[in-house]
Amino acid sequence: MKILKYLPLVFILGLVLSCNSKKSDVPVVGFVDAFEDATISQARTGFTDALKKSGFSEDQHTVKIEYRNAQGDIPTLTQIVNQFVSEKVDLMGTCTTLSTVSALQKTKTIPIFAMVSPTPERMNVVSSTGEAPANLFGAVEELAYIDTSFNIIPKLLKPKGSKLVIGMIYNQSEPQSADAMNRIKSLADKANVTLIALPLNSSADAQLVTKSLLGKNIDAFFANPDNTVFASFETILKSCNQANVPIFTSEAGLVKRGAVAAFGADIYQWGYQAGEQAAQFLKMHKTDGLKWEMVKVRKRVYNPEAAKKYNITVPLNFEAVK
Amino acid sequence: MDFYLTALLQGLCLSAIALGIYISMKIFNIPDITTDGSYTLGGAITAKLLVLHQPVFVVLPVVVAAGALAGALTGLIHTKLKINALLAGILVMTALYSVNLTLMGRSNIPLIGTASIFSFINISADFNHNVFWTLVAFVAVITVLIGYLLKTDFGIAMRATGNSESMVRALGVNTDRMKITGLALANALTALSGFLITQFQGFADINMGIGIVIVGLGSVIIAESFINWLGITSVWFSLLLVLSGAVIFQCVLAITLSIGVDPILLKLVTAVFVLLIVSLPRLSFKSSA
Repeated sequence: MKILKYLPLVFILGLVLSCNSKKSDVPVVGFVDAFEDATISQARTGFTDALKKSGFSEDQHTVKIEYRNAQGDIPTLTQIVNQFVSEKVDLMGTCTTLSTVSALQKTKTIPIFAMVSPTPERMNVVSSTGEAPANLFGAVEELAYIDTSFNIIPKLLKPKGSKLVIGMIYNQSEPQSADAMNRIKSLADKANVTLIALPLNSSADAQLVTKSLLGKNIDAFFANPDNTVFASFETILKSCNQANVPIFTSEAGLVKRGAVAAFGADIYQWGYQAGEQAAQFLKMHKTDGLKWEMVKVRKRVYNPEAAKKYNITVPLNFEAVK
Repeated sequence: MDFYLTALLQGLCLSAIALGIYISMKIFNIPDITTDGSYTLGGAITAKLLVLHQPVFVVLPVVVAAGALAGALTGLIHTKLKINALLAGILVMTALYSVNLTLMGRSNIPLIGTASIFSFINISADFNHNVFWTLVAFVAVITVLIGYLLKTDFGIAMRATGNSESMVRALGVNTDRMKITGLALANALTALSGFLITQFQGFADINMGIGIVIVGLGSVIIAESFINWLGITSVWFSLLLVLSGAVIFQCVLAITLSIGVDPILLKLVTAVFVLLIVSLPRLSFKSSA
């Protein structure tokens, strides 16, 4: 029975040695997602669709897309990026800021096609000379788009009191969310609007924080698209609908889910744009002529049902979401 | 094999946490949740100071002191205010979130072109090999210090406090002070892990500490099962096993990833793996007994 004692060791060793990866000549794409979310995952769909359109499809075995999701766990995220780096994947697709930052820190050679991420300055990854990392490609977003989204609100809404009061929640643990909040604060000061911003650290507190905002008699709710808002949007929507407060945002996916109107990037198109770049790289096998670019597709969209509920007349240049 | 090397490196970076949890959990029987906060604290201070171009030998003592302070605070709340250890840890961890955010000024600081502990040793052309030797040296020094400490009269009193507090108090030892010191030591180690990981992964993030206590506990429990299985009584061996527990825990994650498990099942498979490691020796124990 002595042998039985060491069985687990043998078992684990066997496991480790049995998983050897085989190299083939099909290009390998490592796709890194930081967490699960219904809206965010559209970026991945867009990315793979763009590859498919250029003739790199998983079904025809012309490309191998290895998808890994860290489920919101940073040690796992680091491991995933390490795995892709050591497998020497041809390129990495990184979705959301944290994945992009992790990948940029771990490799200076493998091209990284980012999506749903802010500009290199926003991510703080520029060198002292102001250069963005040489292996960063894909589609990124700056804060300027928020201006347009935010300025929609005074155009469409009449204040209940003397001044328009807009409430928002922002996530302290995301750089772009805190940046966006500061930007909106300055916009609100210019537009003679009162802004009440409350911090939120996890989607678990969403309901409480939303309720507390709604208790402050706000005219509208601005859903700043960050991870916590994506995760807890349904809760926010329910509370706002009960209190008859319309939601405005800057991301088309949230309008589909029930916000009134938005001007901003479409997450699916965002991923698609990064995917087009990745496909170009796979065709040429070099990164010449590629660089990171701003998100191209920004839409003015509105949700007909929500607009009707709040009697809001949306300008003609807005299209209804399907 | 490179992939397993990075898992090994990550395990070595996290072995300081494992030692910290070993001290709080195994020696004092205190489930210390402060860990989640003090780990991020270590990372936050490291990132902030390195971005301000401070040399590593300045950052290191600051990180250790800050971690120790956080632990001492938990100890004080627990012993002087007679508040349950678990709650004391949760309170300090919650408060540390704001402290960390204030220290960092933003929620994520990437390190670009800053000094790093991994730039001192340049034996091999491969960056990872240098990191490996740096970590081995670093962890060896910590382990020797902790091992030596546990062997001194003070350390023995500390270990006895965990075993039977009333008896040790009867011998005239101030057990409250023992607990405060022990928790300070444990959290200083935890902050060290934050210090190492931040430089290893190249960024500090406000959420990096969430659930990290599980990693430490998992490492200690894996070590525990080996300690029982092989019937080890020596302090040195126990510490070594705790270190390898941390490495095994990361390797398990690496194996799970490299098998290509559906991402949705990642955590479940990792948990089952650890369960296997921990339970198989026990199963075979029973059958051979």
